[in-house]
Amino acid sequence: MGIHSVGTSDAALVRRVQTGDTRAYADLVARYRDRLGRYAMHMLGNREDAEEVLQDAFVRAYRSLGRCNDPERFGAWLYGILVNRCRTTGARAARRARRFVHDPVALETAPLSGPDGRTEWDDMVRWALARLPPESREAFLLKHVEELEYEDMARLTGAGVSALKMRVKRAREQLQAMLREVERV
Amino acid sequence: MFDPMDDASERIARHLRRAVRIDPALDERVMREITALSAPDRATWVGQMWRWLRRPHQITLTPLGGLAAAATLAAVVILGRMDSRPPAARETESRAFQFVLIAPRATRVSLVGDFNDWDATRTPMSRAGSKALWTAVVPLEPGRYHYAFFVDGSRWLADPSAPVARDEDYGAPSSVLTVGGGGS
Amino acid sequence: MRPPFTARVLALLATMLVAGRAAAQQLDPRLERLDPATRPAVAALVDSARAASLPTEPLVQRALEGATKRASGEVIVAAVRRLAVDLGRAREALGSTASPAELSAGAAALRAGASQTTLAELRHARREPLIVPLAVLADLVASGVPVDSAAAAVLALSRQARDAELVEFRRAVERDIALGAPPAAATAAAATTTMASYGVNAGARPQRPGRP
Repeated sequence: MGIHSVGTSDAALVRRVQTGDTRAYADLVARYRDRLGRYAMHMLGNREDAEEVLQDAFVRAYRSLGRCNDPERFGAWLYGILVNRCRTTGARAARRARRFVHDPVALETAPLSGPDGRTEWDDMVRWALARLPPESREAFLLKHVEELEYEDMARLTGAGVSALKMRVKRAREQLQAMLREVERV
Repeated sequence: MFDPMDDASERIARHLRRAVRIDPALDERVMREITALSAPDRATWVGQMWRWLRRPHQITLTPLGGLAAAATLAAVVILGRMDSRPPAARETESRAFQFVLIAPRATRVSLVGDFNDWDATRTPMSRAGSKALWTAVVPLEPGRYHYAFFVDGSRWLADPSAPVARDEDYGAPSSVLTVGGGGS
Repeated sequence: MRPPFTARVLALLATMLVAGRAAAQQLDPRLERLDPATRPAVAALVDSARAASLPTEPLVQRALEGATKRASGEVIVAAVRRLAVDLGRAREALGSTASPAELSAGAAALRAGASQTTLAELRHARREPLIVPLAVLADLVASGVPVDSAAAAVLALSRQARDAELVEFRRAVERDIALGAPPAAATAAAATTTMASYGVNAGARPQRPGRP
């Protein structure tokens, strides 16, 4: 794929792609793959859907790169595409044959990558996260896992800052309540 | 020093912040897909994009349709159905539902309810993943079902994530699952 | 004094009647799990329900639940009888075209304290099946929402809300109650949000030319 200098900014890579250097896009994909993949995995709950959505998001981003009018903020813009794809995919997943009583997310799926393998705590976290309503899960992940600012989250999601703060607050309260329940069993 | 996030949700967030490794083969798949866009398309795209870039624009990043989809997803979680077949056809349609219980200290768990004649031997639950998770899948037609988990042959547990079945009759806790018959 | 021939005919008729009745009361084999003293009483209740064209499966399941949970025969019979009465009342309110699933959900709503009037109003308010609205009503009351508040909210929402929206409404109310909100207030707030979301959804559709 050629060699591109390490540390080239997003903006520089985007401009290269915009002027016809498609191969520069591979650097952007490599740069954002794991980080966006983390969000997709936690939002959708399984690797298969996450990778499909991620691939889709990258391709869409490429096709609409002309609408990224601030290449400096490519990452945030890409996030917005991914958040939307996750929402659509989540809705489709609910229509598939595997259905869940309370959760849209498959719990019996391939484990997340990690040196520890699958632990009880992994299961409990995934179960608790899956039980959050999608809007709350999305807000919690963007704020406390992806560590975005509320203003950025508002741009990505289209929701207002105070609505997002409320969703994050409720997500936290629900997660606490759920863990308390589980510890009683 | 008081840490306002020092609670269960902070533990969860820390856990989720751990790095996730996606198969790097994804990069190649993306590039293949992009390259498969026909050359004339790409050239046209570049030209169009360039012209577009030079015009002033208002950009809406997130359509309301995305919000609507999110709201609908939240709503269909339990019913898991979004097709548009007529209600009569859906009324008798049976769909698979997975029941999940987190019970790290249990040695055996049965799912018992209206869908299996309250027979504790019919639907033993299986462990999945770590030892904490118990699951079972049951096909259900539209209706309202009482159920509970029978743990280690001695303990009845309602489903902590389901509505409670108000049971003045039998004392032991039960939960309720409603499977809709039409009209998402 | 009856002539022997008539006596034999009457005896034959009596035998046929008894046999016919026994056939009608053919025992669901699952009820073998009940103790011998309880079985006939439950079987009779099931049989009466069948004769009244009410669904019998919920009654059988209620009995089996009691057997599995080791309830006494008296308690089981009382539970089954109560459910049979509720199914009958649900059918009066919802009409003879109500499905078995609707009747079960209706019985649960009545048991929770909803009135037959509420059930009838729901029937008029909504053409789609009523399983979910009735179930949501019963579940809300089980969560502590006063029955009048629950009924008013479900009725208002059922005119437009789809099943999935009603379920999400119920979850929102339960979440808020779990977080300390008064049940009636939580219900009102969630109902308002759900109804407001119809406006959001409408706005999501592409605007036709000429509209603001």
